[in-house]
Amino acid sequence: MTTTTTRPAAASGPSDGPTAPGPVKLKTRREPERFALIGVWAIVIIIFSLTTDRFLTEGNISSMLGSQTVLLILALGLLIPLRVGDYDLSVASTLGISAMLVAILNVNEGWSIVPACIVAILAGTVIGAFNGAVVVKFDIDPFIVTLGMSTLLQGVLFWISDSATISGIDVGLSDAVLTNTVLSIPVNFWYAVVLCAALWWVFDYTPSGQRLLFVGQSKDMARLNGISVGRTRFLALVASGTIAALAGVVLAGTTGSADPNSSASFLLPAFAACFLGSTTLKIGRFNPWGTFIALYFIVTGTTGLQLLGAQNYVQQLFYGAALIIAVILSKILRQRNDRRLQNDARQAASAEAAQQSTNSKDIA
Amino acid sequence: MSSTGHAPTGTASSTPGTDVLRIAGLVKRFSGVPALGGVDLAVAAGEVHGLLGANGCGKSTLIKVLAGVHLADEGSVLVHGDEVPMPFGADGLRTRGLSFVHQDLGLTDAATVLEHLALDHVAAQGTLRRIPWGAERRRAAELLARFEVAVDPDARVDQLTPVQRAMVAIVRAVASQEQLAEGGERRAQLLILDEPTVFLPSADVGILFRLVDRLRQAGDSVILVSHDLDEVLEICDRVTVLRDGKNVGTRDVPGLSRDELVELILGVKIGAVTRPADGTTRSPEVALSTRGLSGERVRGLDLDLHPGEVVGVTGLAGSGIEELTNLLYGVEPLHGGSLSVRGEDVARPTPARMLDHDVVLLPADRKALGSAPRLTVLENMALPFLKSSFKGGRLRWGSLRQQSQDTCVRLHVKPADPAALFSSLSGGNQQKALLGKWLDTKPAVMLLAEPVQGVDVGARREIFRLVREAVAGGASVLCATSDYEQLVQLADRVLIFAEGRVVDEIAGDAITKDALTTAIYAGAAA
Repeated sequence: MTTTTTRPAAASGPSDGPTAPGPVKLKTRREPERFALIGVWAIVIIIFSLTTDRFLTEGNISSMLGSQTVLLILALGLLIPLRVGDYDLSVASTLGISAMLVAILNVNEGWSIVPACIVAILAGTVIGAFNGAVVVKFDIDPFIVTLGMSTLLQGVLFWISDSATISGIDVGLSDAVLTNTVLSIPVNFWYAVVLCAALWWVFDYTPSGQRLLFVGQSKDMARLNGISVGRTRFLALVASGTIAALAGVVLAGTTGSADPNSSASFLLPAFAACFLGSTTLKIGRFNPWGTFIALYFIVTGTTGLQLLGAQNYVQQLFYGAALIIAVILSKILRQRNDRRLQNDARQAASAEAAQQSTNSKDIA
Repeated sequence: MSSTGHAPTGTASSTPGTDVLRIAGLVKRFSGVPALGGVDLAVAAGEVHGLLGANGCGKSTLIKVLAGVHLADEGSVLVHGDEVPMPFGADGLRTRGLSFVHQDLGLTDAATVLEHLALDHVAAQGTLRRIPWGAERRRAAELLARFEVAVDPDARVDQLTPVQRAMVAIVRAVASQEQLAEGGERRAQLLILDEPTVFLPSADVGILFRLVDRLRQAGDSVILVSHDLDEVLEICDRVTVLRDGKNVGTRDVPGLSRDELVELILGVKIGAVTRPADGTTRSPEVALSTRGLSGERVRGLDLDLHPGEVVGVTGLAGSGIEELTNLLYGVEPLHGGSLSVRGEDVARPTPARMLDHDVVLLPADRKALGSAPRLTVLENMALPFLKSSFKGGRLRWGSLRQQSQDTCVRLHVKPADPAALFSSLSGGNQQKALLGKWLDTKPAVMLLAEPVQGVDVGARREIFRLVREAVAGGASVLCATSDYEQLVQLADRVLIFAEGRVVDEIAGDAITKDALTTAIYAGAAA
């Protein structure tokens, strides 16, 4: 081990009082685990492009990126309550309600598409506000509240749709979200990228993002620091409801119809993407780009396996396994990370103590 | 209700002269520093034995050794004359018939008295047994009747009064040891009560002591840990006083005066440590003021904090000092009275409102309330500055990092690395970082709750220096602590609390350790 550099200059030079302790430079922390998922993703891509010749085609890439946009938007919305430490289990049903509202208002009621979409999104806001109000007002675990809301909304969904698929939604919506392409990828993918970037900016570069983070860490501590915990949690659920409804509008545009059975299947993949994402880029934190990477890692895996001839159920296998592995991984990575930081701090402290003793020897 | 007819027969098994518990030369060191330096203690059957001493004298360490929390390094422990091999194991001496009731009582609010008693009884016989509720109910009723504790077995713990809770905890502790001692005649038990009275209204202390007396009548022994000298003199047969981890003596209570006891606890007068004069002057203005402020324990407090002074607040546990900083910061709702900052009335104080008035709190529970341990030092320290450094649509992390780095260096936080995980800092460094965070906001009033709890000596001195510097800069500081020694070095005046009220005020050079101790015990007696 290299000894700390003694400072002969300081001893002989003009004395300017006790030397101010300079900032201790820790060796820059490399956390290779942060990028592990990206590495695995790359390997998966290489394997599939070697084993199937249809994988790396423009059409397949475009379909992989474009087909899961609804899920990505939903997962990004879900990130917000997760960041404050709350679960929102009603996002998938909200998505279903929103898609169905677009269909009913546009097809059955003959509304034009724009107001139909606006009402659908506002419905999501109202659902989120209701969730948030119950959670904050009565201090109830959002897990239970949103679980109940989720089932209730499923019921409403079958009720208002007569358990039937409604098709024939204005093609304007399809054009707006799907048919138009940028760089031969459907435009809705780019919407999701913009949303992801916006969320990243809010989380990392605004006071609100930091408030979400602290509320998620410790509600009591956040309160003592002047953060309005109730309002933060309320707004987080409002945001997730609104974004889930937005995802519903995109779904209605992608399929041109609304199916009361389809929305429930979105819930678990969204959670899987969020949790797997928290093992990436910023370990132990729900973060948008991590979620983005995690989602497309899962999509790559399932698409590749299906191209290799796997059955449809491989999706469920993959999503379920990804969620479980993600939570285990994030636990392990966090513990390892903590240990390493602890060691670093101890080393720095002892190095500093050693330096101080050499300094005092120099003076003596 | 049946009278205690069995009282005289209970002592049959303990032969006279055999102590229930005999401790000799017990040593416990923490990283080389002895917390117990050879303690001797003998508790006879049928006696109530007081265990006394100032903060940090080793009382709690001794209890924790007996309870199996700490392992002793040297010494011998005999129970009923049989030497207990060390180490004791996780259950400590519970398996030998000692039972413990700690200050927090260890009851679950949502469960009934019956459930508490039945759980102990049935769980002792195996995990998957059916609980015979009928039999358990009769047993619980019989137990409560025997100790003359008038409590409904079906009452939930949170429906009981404080003294009822304490008595249920005692009955439960004693009863659970009885089963272990079964199989033959009943041996005298030893119950250890660790400050059982601090949360009790003084009128109810007598009720609790009647129960203790009943145990003594039955031939059991009780060790009573207490700060309240008058209670000790009232109920105990003998007292043992610890100081700096050693016995200073065991005395018979009859004939022992209160003054003698205080002298035993304090020992030789400690060389007066006084606060070095630093030329700070108290301003006549008022920074924070309360009139008739009341909370759960605090009663009708009139307080004026001036810029340029440190006001110490101390008292025994339960005197209201724990609550005071929370009330002033709006963490707990006021039950009455008014609060104003720099002449401005704060109608319903909340932490956010108090922060707006430049009042900050350094809470006692650093890990849970003071910081987010899993976030970085930078994120923790940046919290008060988020609004001011949100410029041009984004947080200026660069300047926030520079600021926290500068503060860390200035306050000798080691390592002075804003990117470090907050929990990776030692206790003293965490506290300095949090203090630095608030100092950077240039607060008008700083409320400190146990500011040097779990902080090493070096950091302690630096924290005192920083607080005095802030005061010299015109801040007003209130420091609430039960570890009153620090106030000698820190405070310009000290308010002594008892029963939620200020009972005494000591100012300037009159603040010495002796003066504080005397005032605290006098206040508690009044």
